[in-house]
Amino acid sequence: MLEIFEYEFMQRAFIAGIFIAILASISGTFIVLKRYSLMSETLAHSALVGVAVGLVAGYNPLWVAVIVAVLSAWLIEYLRSHFTLYSDAILSIILSGSLALAVIIVSLGGAFNNSLFSYLFGSILSVSYEDVITIALFGTPALVLLLLFSKELYFITYDEEVAKTSGIKVKLLNFLLVTVVAIIIALSIRVVGSLLIGALMVIPTSAALQYRVGFRNTILISLFFALFSVVFGMSLSFYFSLPSGATIVLTVISLFILSLIVNKK
Amino acid sequence: MSLTFKVPIFDVKNLSFRVRGVDILSNISLEIFNGEYIAIIGPNGGGKTTLIRMLLGLEKPSSGEVRLFGKKLKSFKEWYKIGFVPQRASLVDENFPATVEDIVKMGRVANRGIFAGFSSEDAKIVEDAMLKMDILDLKSKMVGTLSGGQRQRVMIARALASKPEILILDEPNTGVDMVSQQRFYKLLAKLNKEEKITIVFITHDIGVIADDIGRLFTINQKATICNDPKETLSCEDMSTLYGIDAHLIHNHKHEDHIC
Repeated sequence: MLEIFEYEFMQRAFIAGIFIAILASISGTFIVLKRYSLMSETLAHSALVGVAVGLVAGYNPLWVAVIVAVLSAWLIEYLRSHFTLYSDAILSIILSGSLALAVIIVSLGGAFNNSLFSYLFGSILSVSYEDVITIALFGTPALVLLLLFSKELYFITYDEEVAKTSGIKVKLLNFLLVTVVAIIIALSIRVVGSLLIGALMVIPTSAALQYRVGFRNTILISLFFALFSVVFGMSLSFYFSLPSGATIVLTVISLFILSLIVNKK
Repeated sequence: MSLTFKVPIFDVKNLSFRVRGVDILSNISLEIFNGEYIAIIGPNGGGKTTLIRMLLGLEKPSSGEVRLFGKKLKSFKEWYKIGFVPQRASLVDENFPATVEDIVKMGRVANRGIFAGFSSEDAKIVEDAMLKMDILDLKSKMVGTLSGGQRQRVMIARALASKPEILILDEPNTGVDMVSQQRFYKLLAKLNKEEKITIVFITHDIGVIADDIGRLFTINQKATICNDPKETLSCEDMSTLYGIDAHLIHNHKHEDHIC
């Protein structure tokens, strides 16, 4: 067996990473097609507020990150539907607001250290047994919901109004999607880091779309790219002592560029 | 008319729509019965699309009421009975990852239970809808690669896949060439005659209206219901309805009348 799999911390990192690759790529397909790509960045920064609170107050940062990210997703949806604001402006406001809040909390609490750094850029060394449990605990229902409603969500991303006139509960499902996405993003910051998780949601799907195939195959290609990037990126990270999030993102970007070249019109 | 004894599919009473104090539609009352073939015409900005959107619950009326199969919009649940093809239907995002079959299958989504996948019956219905719209051979093609006319038939096949009793089409010919348009109207007439599907479509294309249409609604803030479209075409102010000459439209009489 390869040396890399003999270390317990790498086993934990691989389990967490594979789980996150599956979640991020499937939910990412809907997010990209709905033109919600920027939302993943915003929610990642909101999750950071949760991490800051967790670190300062001594709670499990991942749990608090999940809660804050979900609340932020609901706030975005509320602002989007109740005020005359452009959605990208809302996302931009909440992104910078979250980051500012996180920095203030951390500096007041005196927790500005390596621990936060690992949440910004991801670190395979820091994935604890508890983190793996948390990822499985929240990630499994998130995945089940996504798969259960994938046909409805696909219809909504195609044409929201026609879906509505067909009797699909569009509002409820949109709400469900952003909630699930918020959970997935919060879970991912351990492995990929909050500054880089957007890439794992958006790039595999963007690359898969270059192949111009149907819905099912687009999801499968996206899933494959995400899984490959996480496994390959984490291995590079292990052998060359590089930050895991950054190697994962550069791997997936390489696949994206390759897809662009192969499918050039 | 004997039809008036039946429960209409759509029963619209005194429907009005105002935006920031401007009347878009005022006091529209009309009924649409099972088996009818209705064209809705009128100038751009006359409120045709707004009317359809209110009928489907996509827009809230300022006042008035819409009943669907005898039920108020809010308590209406059987949306699969209504097939809607919106205006931009043939102008889909070219990069959207969907084959023709993917799109037509969407028509079955609302009919199934949460935990149920697509059954073999669903597959049969989807294939049947593609066959009727003559797109079965395009099944595995990406929608983005199709012509406007082909896409239009895909969108109608999707609507048909929910087995609707009524088909509502908003300017279905946007982005579609002339030959495809003629073929399209033949298909609509066939669906109405053979499948007994009620058809309502919005158009500004006066040329095709006379032959098959049962009734004609002209919408320009108010509704004019014409029960005999052939007669309508001789009404002297009809040309003003097509949005060709703006000041003529402005002079158009708003009173309801029967041609």
